[in-house]
Amino acid sequence: MFFNPELALDALSTLSLGLLVTILLTLACGFTSLILGIFVALARMSRFWLLRIVVNGYVQLMRSTPLLIQLIYIYFALPFIGIRLDPFLAAYVGLSLHVSAYLAEVYRGGIEAVPKGQTDASAALGMRPSVIMARVVLPQAIRIVIPSLGNYMVSLFKDTSLAAVITVQELLFRGQIFAARTYDYFTIYTLVFAMYFAIGYPAIRLVIYIEKKLKRGYTAKLAEKPARDIAVMEETK
Amino acid sequence: MIEVRGIYKRFDDNEVLTDISLTINEGEVVAIIGPSGSGKSTLLRCINYLEPPDKGDVLIDGELAYRDFKGKELSKAKIASTRSTVGMVFQHFDLFPHMTVLDNVCSGPRFVSKVDKAEYQQRAKKLLERVGVAEKQDQYPGQLSGGQQQRVAIARSLAMEPAAMLFDEPTSSLDPELVGEVLSVMRQLVDDGMTMAVVTHEMGFVRQVADRVIFMDCGKIVEEGTPEALFTNPQHERTRAFLSAILSHTERTKPEPTSDPQTIVEESSYPIVLP
Ligand SMILES: Nc1ncnc2c1ncn2[C@@H]1O[C@H](COP(=O)(O)OP(=O)(O)OP(=O)(O)O)[C@@H](O)[C@H]1O
Ligand SMILES: [Mg+2]
Repeated sequence: MFFNPELALDALSTLSLGLLVTILLTLACGFTSLILGIFVALARMSRFWLLRIVVNGYVQLMRSTPLLIQLIYIYFALPFIGIRLDPFLAAYVGLSLHVSAYLAEVYRGGIEAVPKGQTDASAALGMRPSVIMARVVLPQAIRIVIPSLGNYMVSLFKDTSLAAVITVQELLFRGQIFAARTYDYFTIYTLVFAMYFAIGYPAIRLVIYIEKKLKRGYTAKLAEKPARDIAVMEETK
Repeated sequence: MIEVRGIYKRFDDNEVLTDISLTINEGEVVAIIGPSGSGKSTLLRCINYLEPPDKGDVLIDGELAYRDFKGKELSKAKIASTRSTVGMVFQHFDLFPHMTVLDNVCSGPRFVSKVDKAEYQQRAKKLLERVGVAEKQDQYPGQLSGGQQQRVAIARSLAMEPAAMLFDEPTSSLDPELVGEVLSVMRQLVDDGMTMAVVTHEMGFVRQVADRVIFMDCGKIVEEGTPEALFTNPQHERTRAFLSAILSHTERTKPEPTSDPQTIVEESSYPIVLP
């Protein structure tokens, strides 16, 4: 038997802690980049050219280099110029900056996908550009990109494993330590594998579910309509 | 009320408007007709600066509306506030799909004029009643028919209490049986004395409500006059050709079923006599 259940049970407590760190890192970076990404996208469309250039440079830098070297650079290189971050913080900053750059592109795509008629109609009412963006364009753009955002969140969850390289005590890192100590790579890494899957797979299903739900478009809850009617309507489509 | 002076507009090397001047007086209903691509939409869009003209001025109530006398653009805030005095209704309604019908109608007062919530909600409900879609207030635009959507769009514009309204082919994307309900809402506006510029192919409607008809072709105003004069005695060959094309088209599609008895009478009698 290659898989050692006793050892697995032993490892479970430390690995669970690792999974908790993984999830925390995912949530923290996810939350930050979902918001930061919007501002990056807006900055890229700003009328201030300097802001546009700087932010554009940042996005290109993040997109054209490996995430791994970005994390290593923040943790190992930046201390030389006096910026010292502890591992978790370094991973948080690195991952957030990286994912925000990608999400900015996603948001921009969503903003461009909102029909021009929407902007025209709001401008004709007398709304100012910032109001149009906040009240008309962004709410629609975000809805359009929710499935993509979901996929990026799942990727982020998986990419947090790279933080092991800068000694963040997340799931993979704890697995590595435990495996090196016991030499039972098969048992430990099988367990690590399974634990990523246990979170990642439901997350993917959730994204698919949300995507399906969004496809139905904006509808009021037809509370006053008997459910039977709606079922008939759906069937006859 | 609205005065357009010598407007030019080109897209790349396509000259869309050439030296257009026109005046719309208070309470006047001006219909703008002309073949596809003649620049009708662009003209309306220049009037509220959705499309900045290359040259020429737009005056509203005697004042330069979007640029100062040197041609320098006014502030975004000033332009926005001028726009709110001129309502616009589009061919494809362009309601906000993420807001309920009521929120759509409230959107102007809520995001522009910052009036009291109770006040604008009440006004919005009244407007929805006036255009006959009050019972739909909690639904989303996607759940409404085209005719209902366009009536909501009209209510949305009216919520800003504009001094004038621009209509760009408000019935062109509607199924024939839904045209009447939108035209009858517009007719109400005419009866209330609203100043209006209407781009449309509904010649029966034009004949009934327009004080003046402007025929455009290739970015120019070819001729204008009362509906009576223009329809019965067009001065230019191009006007004649256009009217006869429109007429033969409407002859073909004439027996339009409509639920509005008033519209049946009006839409089926095309008293256009061509020489
Ligand atoms: N944003 C734009 N960019 C480039 N060309 C444009 C743009 N808007 C309009 N045009 C061009 O300008 C010309 C006039 O267009 P416009 O929409 O004003 O005509 P119209 O009279 O409203 O026609 P229709 O009856 O088809 O609505 C057309 O040739 C059109 O292709
Ligand atoms: Mg047009």
